[in-house]
Amino acid sequence: MPLASARFAEYAAQDSQNHGMKLRFSFPPYPLVGRPREVLRMYVEGNDPVSGKPLMPQIIDGFTRPLTEEEKKPKASRRKARPRLMQPDTEENLHKLFLENGWTDGAPIVLPTEERVAHMLTGTAADPNEVVGQMTITIHQEKLEYTVERVAVNAVMAGAGPEHLPVILALAASEEGSMPSSTTSFGRMAVVNGPIRQEIGMNSGLGALSPFNHANTVIGRAWTLMTINLGDARLGETFMGSTGNNMNYNNMMIAENEERSIWEPFHVRMGFKKDESVVSLFQGWSAINSMGAAGCCRPAQEEMLIILQAFPCLQGALTLVMDPLVAKHLKEQGFDTPKQLSKYLSENFKMTAGQFWGSDVVYSLVEPNARNGIEPYASWLKLPKDAMIAPYTVPEKINVIVVGGETQALWLTTDMWHTKTVSIDRWRPKAGAYREDEQAVRRRQARQKRHAAALNASGYDLK
Amino acid sequence: MTITRAKRASTLLTTVLDPRGQPTIVVQPQPLAPRLDTIQGKTIYLVDVGFGGGWEFLEETVAWFSRNMPSVKTTLLHKKGIMFVDEPEMWAEMSQKADAVIFGVGG
Repeated sequence: MPLASARFAEYAAQDSQNHGMKLRFSFPPYPLVGRPREVLRMYVEGNDPVSGKPLMPQIIDGFTRPLTEEEKKPKASRRKARPRLMQPDTEENLHKLFLENGWTDGAPIVLPTEERVAHMLTGTAADPNEVVGQMTITIHQEKLEYTVERVAVNAVMAGAGPEHLPVILALAASEEGSMPSSTTSFGRMAVVNGPIRQEIGMNSGLGALSPFNHANTVIGRAWTLMTINLGDARLGETFMGSTGNNMNYNNMMIAENEERSIWEPFHVRMGFKKDESVVSLFQGWSAINSMGAAGCCRPAQEEMLIILQAFPCLQGALTLVMDPLVAKHLKEQGFDTPKQLSKYLSENFKMTAGQFWGSDVVYSLVEPNARNGIEPYASWLKLPKDAMIAPYTVPEKINVIVVGGETQALWLTTDMWHTKTVSIDRWRPKAGAYREDEQAVRRRQARQKRHAAALNASGYDLK
Repeated sequence: MTITRAKRASTLLTTVLDPRGQPTIVVQPQPLAPRLDTIQGKTIYLVDVGFGGGWEFLEETVAWFSRNMPSVKTTLLHKKGIMFVDEPEMWAEMSQKADAVIFGVGG
């Protein structure tokens, strides 16, 4: 007899049906975590709030009541194939249809007409019918398959142009959704490295994480729309993030500021060539802004150790997104490479065993490792609560990305881990790069020149 | 745009592409296991999948059986790994040793 807490009744029923079963669920009230013993006892002796019947007699009935014909011989089912084209309708009705069906992020979209999608497809040499991958936002639901054309449809909806399509296809080829379904409400980050950053005008400098740049905005949004439509994100059915996460709107879509960083770019450290264009994906929950100027009162690396106390350290991973000024400051502190900084943080950050094991997610997801004798968790579980541990055991899981416009020496500390890095070049058009409108290119170059002049005038020496 | 042109635009039909991915799986139906005549005198395994509060809730469930159906033998155990990973060896063991299983608490 399966038990799920009542908040998940609809989800559990759907999940069981998706797996070809009609299970006899019972549902105690939610939540169970943190409830006193007497309350849990009351739940056991009380009613299932979904059926309204006494819980334990219902469970016993579930064990003994003869099976129905449907339970003995459930029918095979498959969701219908989606047509390529929708029924023709007015633009107003189509906008309403997309919104009401949950195929958007709630903001207005560009309707994916055949003409617009065909134009979008000029941004890649790939065959429109080529299968790019399969995606689901849960680990136990059906994956949906998608072609280059379906990706292009979502790119149009996001307001992207053909020049953005190779990056969007790379995101699709990762087969990772931007909103993995966890009640804990994940956020994602995507960082582009290589020449395509400049070619399509991504912002890696001033205000890179704010909504001022077309490429950053539409590529990040396209990942969200693909997650909804290609990853099957449906609120309350497959997506159960309790608060949700406002990172989901744009997924921290940025490019690394390779030109102003004193360190090697992230993708080169991951083994790619400098002239390869790739997108690296990260997953976690939160970002904390250091706010102040690095080096004013204490060195940045010491401030980082303080900020890290806020995270449960579930994955033993973190990613620092830092302004070029912070990278330079850290180099002055003796960190010639990000690897040295990662090693320093791994060795010097400590928390008590009680703080580590006291986290609900650590209890749920790490404690089984300890019970199975996996080190260092098995030893940590035996420690007194006030014993100190260094939970970031693997320095390679501590990542550094350089982004920003050098108006403040600040950094974001995120609890994100690097999931994968995907090739963008694989999806380029035959000519190598999409030929953009010359006026737009000139305007962008003028903007970049202005920013470069402002940086030069600041007198800050990168060396 | 004049009112006439706006009105005409609102009635023109447009064809758009479906944005959704294609379903991939034909679900293989799974019948439920045969039911018991009674659980009196039977062995029930209670498996905690690992969500917070589940273990304590199942301990109270075990206590309920002791109070109300003392002939039922209960075995309470943790699922070995995390809740998202299937464990065929656990199911194989339970199919040998248990007459029935309470598995939870999801969510």
